[in-house]
Amino acid sequence: MTLTRSQKRGILGACMLAAILIAIGVLATYFASRYQLRLIYSAYVNLIVVLGLQVFMGNSRLTNLSHSAFMGIGAYAAAICVTPIAMKQIALPDAPWGLNAFALDPVTSAVIALVITGAVACLVGIFIVRMTGTGATIATLAILVIVHSIFLYRTDIFKGNQAFFGIPQVFSLTSIVILAVVVVFVVRGFRESPWGVMLRASADDETGSAAMGVNVVRLRLIAWVLSGLILACAGIAYAYFLGTISARPFYFNHVFLTLAMLIFGGMRTVTGAVLGTFAISFGLEVIRWLETGPVIIGVNLPEVLGLSGVMLGLVIILTMALRPVGVMGDREIEELVLKKK
Amino acid sequence: MEYVAQQIINALSFGAEYALLALGLAIVFSVMGLVNFAHGEVIAVGGYTMVAFAALVTANPWIIVIGAIAAATLTSVALERVAFRPVRYADPTTGLLTAFGVSIVLQNLFLLFISPRPIAVTSLYFLDAPVTVFGIQISSLQIFESITILVVIMGLVLFLQKTTAGLAMRAASLDFEMVRLTGIRANRVFALAFLISGLLAGLACIFIMARRGSVDPHFGFNPVLKAFVACVVGGFGSLPGAVLGGFLLGAIEVGMLVMLPQEYGGLKDAFVFGIIALVLIWRPDGILSPAKEKGDKL
Repeated sequence: MTLTRSQKRGILGACMLAAILIAIGVLATYFASRYQLRLIYSAYVNLIVVLGLQVFMGNSRLTNLSHSAFMGIGAYAAAICVTPIAMKQIALPDAPWGLNAFALDPVTSAVIALVITGAVACLVGIFIVRMTGTGATIATLAILVIVHSIFLYRTDIFKGNQAFFGIPQVFSLTSIVILAVVVVFVVRGFRESPWGVMLRASADDETGSAAMGVNVVRLRLIAWVLSGLILACAGIAYAYFLGTISARPFYFNHVFLTLAMLIFGGMRTVTGAVLGTFAISFGLEVIRWLETGPVIIGVNLPEVLGLSGVMLGLVIILTMALRPVGVMGDREIEELVLKKK
Repeated sequence: MEYVAQQIINALSFGAEYALLALGLAIVFSVMGLVNFAHGEVIAVGGYTMVAFAALVTANPWIIVIGAIAAATLTSVALERVAFRPVRYADPTTGLLTAFGVSIVLQNLFLLFISPRPIAVTSLYFLDAPVTVFGIQISSLQIFESITILVVIMGLVLFLQKTTAGLAMRAASLDFEMVRLTGIRANRVFALAFLISGLLAGLACIFIMARRGSVDPHFGFNPVLKAFVACVVGGFGSLPGAVLGGFLLGAIEVGMLVMLPQEYGGLKDAFVFGIIALVLIWRPDGILSPAKEKGDKL
């Protein structure tokens, strides 16, 4: 199998990103406190979410707002499979279909969660990919609301806004870094694969690419399902580390947050997704600290709850007004280092 | 029989509310290609204005109502000026994400400066009184809603068909460059579209307020989500489509309320959106979607 020039560059770029991800992980293991480790772990989970979002949004340029719902489906599916029977008898005393009467090992559970999320994504995707830009976005918003209302309504399975607890802690920082590196390679690989190239072409000129023989609907569906699977990975990683999940983290606030990350970094490139995630994660921690009303140089600042939301919104608006393609635009990391071809 | 008539009237009044909101979204979309996610916050501004007027200025409900409509209209025009002008000629995704950002900022400003908790407004309760018409018990609010939507539709049709500004707006939805070449000012057309949109949001705000009786930062979210869905079903950018979509959604929603057993109440929206999805399989671009050119214009 021979690789094209851009694919070789893609492998190089993915290696560079992987090096950065591993470096941050190693630094965190040596220098970070327990609390900071948790924050860094959640930044890596969000990174996987943003990468999953990039696969679909960056290549097909349709805005997706339902990604947190798919993350939630993955997280709940894995959690229900993996939690020990004794814990589930307490957490879900009246679950239907014997859901609280079995427990599987983490790997099987993760595979089941991936299959379930993939199946749901495929089913939903068949509707979504046929619609044009705006309609598709609104439809994804409706999916988010539907999935959330099911999480809230079926308290016997999902516990709604209460915590679903007792999930064994399987993941550590090391495992999430490895997972993130794998996902970076998958996402970059898809971008440079013939499918990715054709999908990006269809986003630039739908009629033109269709005339050249690109099956736009099928390619969008492939990207959508791949995106769903990556989001499921993020959800599984989230559940396997925290040990408790609830419906709330898989709703609007998380959608805003990850969308702002992708937009800020630049949705067209994988590098943009990585940059945006780390920049916003870091910036947000600074703002959260300001929100609590700290004392700076003798000045006692007031407590301002909601500041982080305002800043996230402003990041989106300013990026759109000043540089709609995001910080990275169309450039991947290796293009910053290597000469233009 | 009486029960059926009552439910039909319920469906019409739900539909009227959605149609009002959907028209406001569609008119902006048809001119500018912008999916205005911040529409819900315009409604919330109207709601908070009612609170402020009722607490500080007067107890006269008509002044409160007019104040709310004026505030919503002004907010809508101001948003166009401040936030949406830089992305005016950008692609639809850029505009959509900008509007999304505006919506988040406004919601959090409400949280920050007003209150995360709902605030009650009691001055509009008088709108919602039971009335008996031909032996059928209905709420006066439903009559007001139906009259309002009729007046709005007639007003819009007259405006779009009989005035120069209306002609310019219809032309702008087809070919904006051409409209500018004939000497119409782009700024005016956009401002007018947002003004009408804000006005409709203000009207809708009054009905939502009369029903719910309180306002919180997420006040506009649910109604506007429904209005978006109505627009998508009707065909985004088509004004008749927005009205049709609104009434269709109202009918499906009341149908679900009647047919779903009590314990499935929490899943009503899931079922409603599910049925809408079936409609979209039949017509992915909406029922009355305007014919679209996808290739480059020469």
